[in-house]
Amino acid sequence: MTDLSSTGPVRTGGTARRNGRGLTGLLLVSVPVALLGWLIIYPIFNAIGRTILRTDGTGPGFSLDTYVRFFSDGYSLANLWLTLWVTAVCAALLLAICLPLSLYLRFAKSRVAAVVQGLSLFPMFVPSVILAYALIRTIGPNGGVDLVLNALGLPKINSPYLTPWGPIIGLVWDNIPLTTLMLVAGLGAVSDNAVEAARDAGARPWAVLRHIILPQIGNAVLVVLSFTVLSIFSAFTLPYVLGPASPEMMGPFMQRTFGQVMDTRMAVTQAVITFAICAVFGAFYVRSIARNRKNGR
Amino acid sequence: MAQLTLKNLGKSFDGTDVIADLSLDVADGELVCLLGPSGSGKSTVLRMVGGFETPERGAILIDGEDVTEVPPEKRPTGMVFQSHALWSHMTVADNVAFGLKLRRLPKAEIRRKVTEALDLVGLGDFGNRRVWQLSGGQQQRVAIARALVLEPKILLLDEPFASLDQHLRERLREELRDIQRRLGITTLFVTHGQDEALALADRIVVLRGGEIEQAASPDRMYRAPETRFVAGFIGSMNFLACDMRGGRADHPLFPVAAVVPDGPVELAIRPEALTVSPGRSAGMSARVHRKTDYGTHLLLDIVLEDGARVKAMCPPSGAFEAGQEVRLTASQVALFRDEVKLAEVRTEAREVAHV
Repeated sequence: MTDLSSTGPVRTGGTARRNGRGLTGLLLVSVPVALLGWLIIYPIFNAIGRTILRTDGTGPGFSLDTYVRFFSDGYSLANLWLTLWVTAVCAALLLAICLPLSLYLRFAKSRVAAVVQGLSLFPMFVPSVILAYALIRTIGPNGGVDLVLNALGLPKINSPYLTPWGPIIGLVWDNIPLTTLMLVAGLGAVSDNAVEAARDAGARPWAVLRHIILPQIGNAVLVVLSFTVLSIFSAFTLPYVLGPASPEMMGPFMQRTFGQVMDTRMAVTQAVITFAICAVFGAFYVRSIARNRKNGR
Repeated sequence: MAQLTLKNLGKSFDGTDVIADLSLDVADGELVCLLGPSGSGKSTVLRMVGGFETPERGAILIDGEDVTEVPPEKRPTGMVFQSHALWSHMTVADNVAFGLKLRRLPKAEIRRKVTEALDLVGLGDFGNRRVWQLSGGQQQRVAIARALVLEPKILLLDEPFASLDQHLRERLREELRDIQRRLGITTLFVTHGQDEALALADRIVVLRGGEIEQAASPDRMYRAPETRFVAGFIGSMNFLACDMRGGRADHPLFPVAAVVPDGPVELAIRPEALTVSPGRSAGMSARVHRKTDYGTHLLLDIVLEDGARVKAMCPPSGAFEAGQEVRLTASQVALFRDEVKLAEVRTEAREVAHV
């Protein structure tokens, strides 16, 4: 009896403390949730509503006509495919460049690694528009590369400027720092001892990569891919400045439909379709984060 | 069964010598413990034997064959790491089978060897579990099985039980000793726990500053330390500073006689070599400062009149209280001067052994 009565106040106090903490937590989270609702959730539903609700002279009504127009228009589909293709190529190139780079940064013990890390992070501090003009001056027609080749008596390069490879080069260069940082963070989960134990068991470098490192950074690679796809799919500046005029990537396409064609509803439809594709990769990202946390527990 | 020879090994990091000039022979089936404080170079030696560090000088020979430049994946060594270093994306059986799969052994043979190895460490039924479903002790057993399944000539263990609690550590080291004796595998074991080294080793090698301070059996290491460092590092030791004058120490409590040159010395006395009895010593008073009951014995912290503190071990039946004045006698005293042992004196038998 004594025990039971004595635990009463403690429990009440504990609940009060828990309630207090809960309220603080709710207050802390309320600001970002409100911003999310105002700046993201509301515009999404608003945009979807504007594309499926028609308000012409006959009064409001449900219609999917802009979606039908988009998916039956060869030019719109070519733009969507170009964007998907550029995104896929960029993601593949980023992994091909950044994985060896991050492996080197994670496992190298030399002082050169610090220099390489500094260089790999450099693009992060260069604004996209500066990068775009730097690339035009370098690999554009009569750019730096052409001047060097000309001085050497060699023919000019087939410039990637205004071809799909223009934005690909720019986007890859621009995304190297973040991709490398995320992969290095993922590789942090692979301990030196885990690699040494594999070597001790007889694994050569390739076997260590295939059987030990890659399976342990699978989630990090998935996060990198989701993140890369999200940022590249919705890129505007580099595709606008470096990319081809026709077909064009979704970013410039939306801007032109909105600003030059003045078809607001079609521009919003393009945005909703772009968002829907990005949301699929976003879901991958959220799922990997959730899985990571679950495994962490 | 294999013999390991380290010849004049030298290794430095950032220009600082971590291992200066180290030579060691480990016999067939011998279990040698490398013992030393942090930074003494014991793990570096082990990692050089495993191939994870390359010595700048000297050679490593296994069964007479120079493996100094052989990469870890081709060395006949098996290593167990302090952090277990199990691969969390694999099952227990896959962890153990990894090295066998790389050697492209037939599946049936791999299964048999994995079962044998897991049985050896008492985890026969755990093959299908994920490593994170195991306790710390079980994980370390898997790591031992993973190292043993490849039948290495030399087994290397880098503080394998450091992250485990005391009971588990004691149980696992007994199990490891049994397995090592059963297989007769030559073993190099790194630890900073003197009790672990004393309990496990055929021979203990105490390292200090990258050099061997003493290499001896656990018995000799404890009872006949050759340097002041070893005397203080292995077990508990009381050091009392005094002077030798005319072949006798001028310490009022322990005026031991030994034929050593005059000059300052340190008397080194183990707590169990001290006998404590109620009363007052002739030359200097000594009082109990604190009494700690360990069940099997009492450990008395005694403060001498000159402020020096000594620890003495007594039977649990001893009736001592804090503040009580006591009389001290020592059955065995070693004399050190500048790290070097000058003499060992057994005071009961009045016998002096000079070194």
